[in-house]
Amino acid sequence: MKADQIQTYAPDQEVVVSGRGVGKTFADGSVIALQDADFDIKRGSFVSLVGPSGCGKSTLLRLISGLIAPTSGEIAVHGTAVTGPRADISMMFQKATLLEWRTALENVLLPTEITGTPTKADKNRAFDLLKLVGLEDFAFSFPAQLSGGMQQRVALARLLQTGADILLLDEPFGALDEFTREHLNMELMRIVEEVGATAIFVTHNIAEAIFLADQVVVMTSRPGRMAKIVNVDLERPRPLSIQTSVEFNKLVVDVRETLGEM
Amino acid sequence: MAVQDVIPGPQPFADNARTLSRKRIMRHAGLFITLVLLWEFGSRIGWLDPLFYPRPSNIMWSFWLIYVQNGNVWYHLYATMSLVLMGWIGGSVLGIGLGALVGFNPVLRRFLKPYVIVLEATPRIAVAPLLIAALGFGASSKIAIIVLVCFFAPFINTLSGVINVDEERLELFRSMRASKMQVLRKLVLPDAVPIIMAGERLALTAALSGALVAEFIQRDEGIGSLILVYTRNLNMASAFACIFTLTILGFLIFKGMEKIDHYVAFWKYESGRERVSLKRRSAMAQVGASR
Repeated sequence: MKADQIQTYAPDQEVVVSGRGVGKTFADGSVIALQDADFDIKRGSFVSLVGPSGCGKSTLLRLISGLIAPTSGEIAVHGTAVTGPRADISMMFQKATLLEWRTALENVLLPTEITGTPTKADKNRAFDLLKLVGLEDFAFSFPAQLSGGMQQRVALARLLQTGADILLLDEPFGALDEFTREHLNMELMRIVEEVGATAIFVTHNIAEAIFLADQVVVMTSRPGRMAKIVNVDLERPRPLSIQTSVEFNKLVVDVRETLGEM
Repeated sequence: MAVQDVIPGPQPFADNARTLSRKRIMRHAGLFITLVLLWEFGSRIGWLDPLFYPRPSNIMWSFWLIYVQNGNVWYHLYATMSLVLMGWIGGSVLGIGLGALVGFNPVLRRFLKPYVIVLEATPRIAVAPLLIAALGFGASSKIAIIVLVCFFAPFINTLSGVINVDEERLELFRSMRASKMQVLRKLVLPDAVPIIMAGERLALTAALSGALVAEFIQRDEGIGSLILVYTRNLNMASAFACIFTLTILGFLIFKGMEKIDHYVAFWKYESGRERVSLKRRSAMAQVGASR
């Protein structure tokens, strides 16, 4: 998939994340996790990476985050090459990875503590973010006192506390039950729109990928590569019921066929 | 260093232990009293040799003697306890310090591993006479024995606590561009606190045993030497009183450590979480009254 083929974005939107010929191999080249990925992600867009396990979607996310380095090709964020973790990118994992000796509020403040001493304004911001994810009443609760869904909300608030405008989400609600997940997906859409961030969301759930995204990158395995980009032109805000619409299901069929070809 | 080297601490009593019903407590108390009475009458009738198995009433009388009438046990209790405390602190500082040092330094770890295995396989108490030979009679050799006996649990537990850090959390810290020092202070050390505490609990119990052995060898003072003296004089009732004193002491140590654990590793306990959560809330309410 070449970059010039992905031209359905509005032309005035600025590219914030781009990759050219990005590849990653493990075990001295014997395992090809990702091959020849080209992509341009525009400011404020919500991109889903969907595919079976081993398709390289998590690898791609970690490459963008700078946690791992590509074997070939180059990734640029805001016009500068990614050489390691950076301040304008923040990542959220499948596990909430909260520190259980810290209250929700203290967990949200962690990124600020890493970069400096939290000021009163930082604390207020953390409080506001907890309010944004609906946890203002649990600011002083410890992770063990929160449900799995609430823990992920805290992780989401922590993600936003970093102030990064590019959010990488690696199956953030994958370990939660279906209802909690749907609910949190709705919340995620609302919040990402509210803060105006660019989101890259990894999932293996086709409906979820389409429901959330402006563009769905369909990835296939062995070797992991980007097979197709599906544009989702459904109006926002999207109610849950949109998933039963004809347009939505056409998109599901499109993605499923791409995955099925492999 | 093998992760499996972890010495699991005794599980803290479940929080619901306190909800034991009155009925059950009565049953247990009934059984206990029956056993004590059996012992008492067995000794009176002649089933048990009163020379070696003194009657409970005699033991109670000895308690009165050594604690109140003569009051001689206090001096020895103090001697033993100060030994235990000093040895335990020494062993802990050494154990935690070395454990952290070895944990953070893979090269050191590789070189030290065989020695640690050898040390683990050797009953540490066997070295006690050598320590006395090297350091001479006196408090220093006694403390050295205790340090040796209780050093190991904090060492191994600190080591494994420092090595076994959750990969995903490390990745989180890396993605936030945390420095090595920040990873250490904000992730690795707090994360290791509960397991270090479990090691400390074992160490304190070991320290008490170590102190007794040290006092058996150098019988100048302490509960250990007192037990020896009473047993030699066939004053078994007083010896038993000393042993039960140690039972109570051991129990208090266990309970005390549990209490400390509830404070320093509060997040492991529901009661601790609730307490600290309330405290943080009110602290914030005072500071951030503007909100």
